[in-house]
Amino acid sequence: MQFREATLEERKRFYSEEWGKKDLPDFILHTLSLREFGFDYGEGPSHRYNQFMTVEQLADFLKNKSPYAAYASVALYEQPSMRKGWLKSELVFDVDAKDLPLKSCNCSGGAVCEKCLDEARQIAVMFAETLRSDLDLHNVNFVYSGRGFHVRVNDDAVMTMEQTERAQIIEYVTGSVVPADMTMALGYSHIFRDRVARTFERLSEQKMLDIGMRKALAQQLIKEKDKVLALMRKGQLQELQNFSGMGEKTFQQLLESLKKLNSELTDGKVTIDTKRILRLPSSLHSGVSMKCILVRNIENFSIEDAIPKFARERA
Amino acid sequence: MIAPGYVAILDPFAPEAQDIVRASPPLESMPPEIIERAINRVKWKSSKERIVDTSASAIQSEIWSFYLMCQGIAAVSYPYSREVRLVTEATREAIKYRMYDLFKRRHEDLCLDVVERYFKFVQLEREGRIKLKNTEIPREDYFKLRDKRLAEDGVEIVDDRALSQYVPKYAVRWTDLALLMRYRRAELTKLYVVNGWAVITPRELWDIFANFIGTKTEEYIASLYEHFSESGVPSKLLNSVGEKISALIPPEAELRERFIRIPRGKLRPEFFPPCVKKALGGVGAGGRNYAIAVLLTSFLSYARVSPSGKVAMRMADFIDDISIVREEIVPLILEAAEHCNPPFFKDQPQEKANIFYHLGFGMTLEPRLNDSGKSKWYRTPNCNKVQISAPSLCEPDEFCRKIKNPLTYYYRRLAEQAMERSGD
Repeated sequence: MQFREATLEERKRFYSEEWGKKDLPDFILHTLSLREFGFDYGEGPSHRYNQFMTVEQLADFLKNKSPYAAYASVALYEQPSMRKGWLKSELVFDVDAKDLPLKSCNCSGGAVCEKCLDEARQIAVMFAETLRSDLDLHNVNFVYSGRGFHVRVNDDAVMTMEQTERAQIIEYVTGSVVPADMTMALGYSHIFRDRVARTFERLSEQKMLDIGMRKALAQQLIKEKDKVLALMRKGQLQELQNFSGMGEKTFQQLLESLKKLNSELTDGKVTIDTKRILRLPSSLHSGVSMKCILVRNIENFSIEDAIPKFARERA
Repeated sequence: MIAPGYVAILDPFAPEAQDIVRASPPLESMPPEIIERAINRVKWKSSKERIVDTSASAIQSEIWSFYLMCQGIAAVSYPYSREVRLVTEATREAIKYRMYDLFKRRHEDLCLDVVERYFKFVQLEREGRIKLKNTEIPREDYFKLRDKRLAEDGVEIVDDRALSQYVPKYAVRWTDLALLMRYRRAELTKLYVVNGWAVITPRELWDIFANFIGTKTEEYIASLYEHFSESGVPSKLLNSVGEKISALIPPEAELRERFIRIPRGKLRPEFFPPCVKKALGGVGAGGRNYAIAVLLTSFLSYARVSPSGKVAMRMADFIDDISIVREEIVPLILEAAEHCNPPFFKDQPQEKANIFYHLGFGMTLEPRLNDSGKSKWYRTPNCNKVQISAPSLCEPDEFCRKIKNPLTYYYRRLAEQAMERSGD
């Protein structure tokens, strides 16, 4: 799959032939007039403060302008065209494949491939599982953004929360705070164990050296990865200090690094920003010629579903 | 038998308490014992002082004195100042103790009735297995939670009655704790959350509720401050009560304040509200006077000089060195004036003296400390005034939703940052 930029002609074709209001998720459709819309005509999302009273108005606009990118606010406002009268905001997690802290592919810079996209998908699934089962949130949606996934939560109970509360949810969902007791079967303790083990599983020898670990210790940990992972999953992290060369200082450095890597699984700035505009599901991500789409079945997500007709025909 | 109205002593914001407030006499006829109680509340240490008798007159005295205390402190202090924290801390401690006392006297139902008004909660089922809404809590987790709470309180050996306070018994919806999370009085990663329910012990229930009422008290005082900013303090009595409470701040609290809570000291422009930031960048011809002489002059002077907590008529009550005015406050105002289009003082040089007039030094260009109080030291206008008088300055950010006065914005952001730093 090649992620090439779309031309103006291709954008026009997409919006006149392929885009349809049926592709807008219900959570956008039902709150359309309360959202601020932003557009990018090639210089970034600088055209903001737009409001559409009906979906037909939005459709006409997209067909006429064929923007490079289209965005809608996560916030609902009394007056979206002035960004005034904030009512509430979706809780959003942005998992961008290009920004994943540990990737098993060789993508660099802003590039993404199907492999790292799938890794981003798995992280989105993991977050949603915690949001649904542990935090008991029900209106959890997935959106394929073109370079990764957005997890968008529309439960009223969290939509009125402010930055500090959202920052705490990030810590919880990503596992970026060490719990007082790591051994409890349920609660945050088990989330932290899972996240730390998952991150450690992906640590390369080089990354361990970067943390400040001695080479012999890094090699031993890699060699005995299964044992390390088992200890982590049981919450017995302290026992890692029994490895030769793992003193208190190195152990703390490892723990700090794992926490930090966990926190980088999502872009926290997006989650705490209650006035953020996010790529509009149904719109075209012209940078990679992919459709930004609501993903109804994340387990069976296929990138094929997000390829616009013009890109298929290119091949 | 305890009368239902007794809930007011746990929740001074409850409708039962509001009814009592409505029946209160005018301030000038407030009975002396109520005034005394309002002042002394922050000194309460013993259980006897915190417990309220079940008689109607005792409940009335408790509620009237609570409101008098809040209004007094709002009259002489700023939101989130150490005076406000002293008051809210005393309130928290009192509520917590009363909850404990009611539990001890087997009036748990009364407490739960009040808690239920704000928090959805359930009791854990304990028939053989420990269950929470069909989810079984592993026994090990249950006892670990108990031991964790005991360790947090530094308790090693306890009798059965005390132990029951540390045993998980209830669960509240974690989303109902949002207000406490906002002020970092609850941390999600420290809660034991299962299916959206945070499992808690009776002690935690008291803590949660007392913290909740403490936070509401803080917000109430902030709203009073904004009200007084607009309409003026309605009575000398409130000033007097506030001053007397303020004088009770223990010196060690003041010392700790300097090191932990910041506010006092240099200005922190990164925490200025959007309207002030915009005014600092200069404005166009129509809005210069308001932006510079009214908003910036009052905001910068109060923000720099009085975050110690008090409102005063004279700047000299806070500073003993005029260089703070000349070198820290006025240069910022002059610079902002220069950024205006056209520069404010170029075509209206007489306005320079007006700046010092608004700072309370009378009409002068060379202010001296002795001149302080010659004119009125103008207070920072409320947001609604800014919106009406200089709509172009008002571009609210998310934080603005929480406040009604630009100074409150500044104090609140300073306080939040200080809290994060101190890990409070």
